[in-house]
Amino acid sequence: MNTGKAFQSGLHVVASHSSLWGRFLQGDRHAFAEIYDAHIDDLFHYGMHFCQDNERVKDCLQDLFQDLWITRDHLTANIQNIRYYLISSLRRRLLRSLRKDRRYQHRESWEAFEFEFTSPLESQLILEETAEEQKRLLQQALSSLSRRQREAIYLRFFQNLSYTEVAEIMSMQVDSVYNTISKAISILKKNISLPLLLLLLSK
Amino acid sequence: MAASNYLSFTAREFALDEDFQQWVLHPEEKNVFWEKWLRQYPEMEPVINDARQLVHSIRFRSYSLSATDKEQLWDAVWHGLGEEDEPATVIPVSRWKDAWKYAAAVLLGILLSGGWWWMQQTNNKPVIFSTYTRLGETKSMWLPDSSEVTLNANSRLLYTETDHGKREVWLDGEAFFHVKHKTAQQKFIVHTYDKLSVEVIGTQFNVNSTGKEIVVVLQQGSILLDIGEPRKGKAAELYLESGEMVRYNKQDGDYTKKRVDAARYTSWHSGRLIMDDFTLTDAAAFMQQVFGKTLIVRDTQLLHYKVSGSMPIIYQPDIMMMQLGKVFRMQFNQRGDEIWIQQK
Repeated sequence: MNTGKAFQSGLHVVASHSSLWGRFLQGDRHAFAEIYDAHIDDLFHYGMHFCQDNERVKDCLQDLFQDLWITRDHLTANIQNIRYYLISSLRRRLLRSLRKDRRYQHRESWEAFEFEFTSPLESQLILEETAEEQKRLLQQALSSLSRRQREAIYLRFFQNLSYTEVAEIMSMQVDSVYNTISKAISILKKNISLPLLLLLLSK
Repeated sequence: MAASNYLSFTAREFALDEDFQQWVLHPEEKNVFWEKWLRQYPEMEPVINDARQLVHSIRFRSYSLSATDKEQLWDAVWHGLGEEDEPATVIPVSRWKDAWKYAAAVLLGILLSGGWWWMQQTNNKPVIFSTYTRLGETKSMWLPDSSEVTLNANSRLLYTETDHGKREVWLDGEAFFHVKHKTAQQKFIVHTYDKLSVEVIGTQFNVNSTGKEIVVVLQQGSILLDIGEPRKGKAAELYLESGEMVRYNKQDGDYTKKRVDAARYTSWHSGRLIMDDFTLTDAAAFMQQVFGKTLIVRDTQLLHYKVSGSMPIIYQPDIMMMQLGKVFRMQFNQRGDEIWIQQK
């Protein structure tokens, strides 16, 4: 079915009900709400890692969803990955918003895409000291990764984007995404001893 | 990648493999390859476990939006769009946007004429009505113009009316229409999924767009079919008389017209399934459309098995399955969304 062509010829086309996106394009509000519900948490999470500015993230999200609804007739019917589309759109909005803001100076913020290290369970106090020490060392080691590198790792591991999609969003080569992740894994492998790893995972 | 190539992988290399990551991070998406692979090479388990831990150790600080924030943000999105036809909800004043931004968003919405078609009609006060049915559910209702519609399972319908009395319906799925004749030849148009529209004046007909074809059956009156992109050599307009059916192929725009017993195609709206040389294939199409169940047969000969008669439609898959089993004298066994059929 070539909806694009049909649209150009001025015909009303109702896209397939089989896809959520198709229903959304037809103006189905339930579908729109479903898309919002399915993605808002992860989008907020991404936004907060990106700039740690709650109000700015909400502003951009509001704009993003409003524009999505308003422009839905101009969006492609065969979208591959809605999440990818939303994240890349949010990223552009955040960048634009940050650039406009004079108070904002481009800085390397450690909070951006910060890795999380879960504290060990209380019952294992004996190990805690070692764990804390290892955690510090690991943090130090990971700080050799740049903000961009951390973002790439985040997009692959947290947001489940493919290597190719990560490369596209960040205007990087797929190879460098691969190398970045390889670097992170090496650091983890070198710095995490098994007991700590088990502790991290046990939470 | 071939299964044997992975044998030389280290934990680090596994942790870097996109497909492996997917398996570890998203166990809910079953990955047959890795499960099979691990069964085949049990000696690789320690390496796999290390790799798995590496992947799991990449975690990020969590930030979360409270349920209230989520709702307020959603309301702000709609408020920004200038929506006012959801009377039940109180729209709070957004904390995140200045008023001019709302105005700008609304203005933009008006300028972008495309899908925002009902907004353009604001001054004409169009009648808007939309409804849908889930699997295993049908709905009968009166449209605002007093026409009657029965919506079959898993379908959607949108209705608009302009000042000039032009009524338009967008249908995705199957519906039976009993259109009320209005004075002054006011049009009633049903648009379907693909490039086919039905224009009527006052009549009873059925439109089904759920399969590979769109099937329009006219029970009474007369209708005009408007085919957007007909196959070469075929007319773009086609009149139907009562008792005629058109099958339109969504793929190539080809269509055929023939005389049928309309009741067979429209009886569902009064709760009966009329089976006239009804094959197991027809039964499969019915179960798929109405309940989302897939019928599976080992012996494809069974598909041509025919029965005739009629039965009430009960909107419960189990009961319907049992009834069909009795009629076809076959064993219907349900496994999830699949129904396996065997000869008794």
